Amino acid sequence: MANYYDIDGILMEEEFVPVVFQKAINGVNIDESTEKGCVEQGSKTELPFWLAHELHMRQAVSISVPTCFNQKTRLEIQADAACVDLRSRCPYFYEFGCKLAPLCDKSIGLLLSYAFQIRYKEVLHKAHTTAFAAASKFLMLLTKEETYLYEAAQSSMLAFKKWRMGGPRLQRASILGRKRKPAE
Amino acid sequence: MAGQSDSTMSLFSSEEIEFMAEDEMTEIVPNLRMDSLNFICGDYGPFLPQLAAQVPLWLALALKKRGKCTIRLPQWMSVENLTRVLEAERDSHAFQPLPFHYIEISRLLFDHAREDIPDMYMVRSLVEDIRDVRFHKVETNLEKFTASTVTWKNMSAMEVNVIRAFAGRALQAFYKHDNEQQTQDTDRALDKQPQIPTDRPKRNLKPR
Amino acid sequence: MATEESASVMDDYEMLISTTDVALLKRAWRNEKAAPEILQFESSLVQRIKEQIELAEQNEEIFEANNIEPLTVSLYQMDLDRTQFLLRSYLRVRLQKIEKYLFYVLKTDEYLNRLSKQEQMFARRCTDDLGSHLDETVLAKLPDNYRSILKQSITSEEDDMVPAPRLDTFVICKAKQYLSGLDFEPEYSMEITEMERDLLTFVCYKFVKKPLENGKIDLV
Repeated sequence: MANYYDIDGILMEEEFVPVVFQKAINGVNIDESTEKGCVEQGSKTELPFWLAHELHMRQAVSISVPTCFNQKTRLEIQADAACVDLRSRCPYFYEFGCKLAPLCDKSIGLLLSYAFQIRYKEVLHKAHTTAFAAASKFLMLLTKEETYLYEAAQSSMLAFKKWRMGGPRLQRASILGRKRKPAE
Repeated sequence: MAGQSDSTMSLFSSEEIEFMAEDEMTEIVPNLRMDSLNFICGDYGPFLPQLAAQVPLWLALALKKRGKCTIRLPQWMSVENLTRVLEAERDSHAFQPLPFHYIEISRLLFDHAREDIPDMYMVRSLVEDIRDVRFHKVETNLEKFTASTVTWKNMSAMEVNVIRAFAGRALQAFYKHDNEQQTQDTDRALDKQPQIPTDRPKRNLKPR
Repeated sequence: MATEESASVMDDYEMLISTTDVALLKRAWRNEKAAPEILQFESSLVQRIKEQIELAEQNEEIFEANNIEPLTVSLYQMDLDRTQFLLRSYLRVRLQKIEKYLFYVLKTDEYLNRLSKQEQMFARRCTDDLGSHLDETVLAKLPDNYRSILKQSITSEEDDMVPAPRLDTFVICKAKQYLSGLDFEPEYSMEITEMERDLLTFVCYKFVKKPLENGKIDLV
């Protein structure tokens, strides 16, 4: 982890993954309704990624593919990657996928590359051509990283336009009058 | 991707790009007599009325604003040349050779030296058309890149600056995805041994 | 072709003026701004620039005393302002980087040696201040095992809370001459094999770290 304090890295690790316990574990409960005080081998549950990962390294659980990388999502991405609502599936789709791929399903890597290659073009196109209000519907589909990309493209273009219209220094440029919703 | 470097520090503002462009050499015809200027950035002059001299653009503009010179339009900014460049830009996928700072230089001259530009409106609209065609090309190029190293011939300072943040971030993502494939391959070679990755310390605590 | 001719004239000028300290400082400033990690402090260059700025400031006083034309004086002032802007911006970018990677810089000799004496002092004082502030506000109230600024707990084998510069950041660079595989680190021979002169290249910073340090490329 390059940056311990990276908030997105932390939030990403909070995403839940389905796991199957490979060992019986005493002293913990995964099911509120029972009071067994232990977990049996073969029990299934969902755990945050950071915990599942640690348990996986100790060979206590196996990790299954979470719904955001399931067959249905794959088919949708193959059909029309740019229109898939990835945000509601997982706001950290790519980062989560990168972490998850070696642990449960290596083909996730290919899916990520494919989706990103198609979607980033759309992000660029929308950032440069569409007014913010018109793009807001599109923005709802984007993952966190895609949103950063969109903002990077858009703010660079805006800064350039501001400079171009600028005229004499320190004068209020007409383009500044345009309202832009604060990001997030 | 997550944990990506904060890019604001390594960005150049348009004004900073303009600052760099102001060091480009420009030909002026002074209308005053002035001794040599021995600046920190170099020696210029002496200046004699009606005798052309080469000075950095910022100096040319400073003299111009005080009515002490006319600025000679750079050759590449002639209607003839710009028309040719525009046609070539439209006909080809490649970027035509133009000064690295053509956008900044032309804007500064339009703003401060309009009476020294014959066919001002024509020149201006040609430069704007060229810029639009080229910006469009930049975007099309960006839509195509998938490798982790990308080169562009004859792209200008401002064009590069406008896509710096986006392209840098997107390339980093590509690079990361590629590397992901590679680490997967090595994982596969090691078969199913669940391993603690060696490139980072064991972390038990984060994020709690 | 007219454009190509003028482009090559520009190149010659650039060669010519790149011998001035201002041009060298401009290059150092650009590289420093674009690089994700802190670069070697240009101590002799900064020293020379400071001397030239001082000289220019003295000249201004002389101008005033000798009733030199206000036009000339204002032009000298502009030259001075531009140089001072470059110097300040250069020093400021470095301070921002030092602040951002404070603990990493201090514990990495390679980085620490790239700082000037004053920058090292700045880094140490920042660390002391930040350290005592964090101690007073948070760390002293935590159990003994969790009081380090650098480590999550005493069981951490490494300093696992210290952010490091991201060397996989992508930068834009331009080679001053043709570069062959020998100019790059062998470890990246798969990724990068050559670089054409003057061609703008988007590339991962770590691939071009070596030619940058050798002065063979510039970041744009």
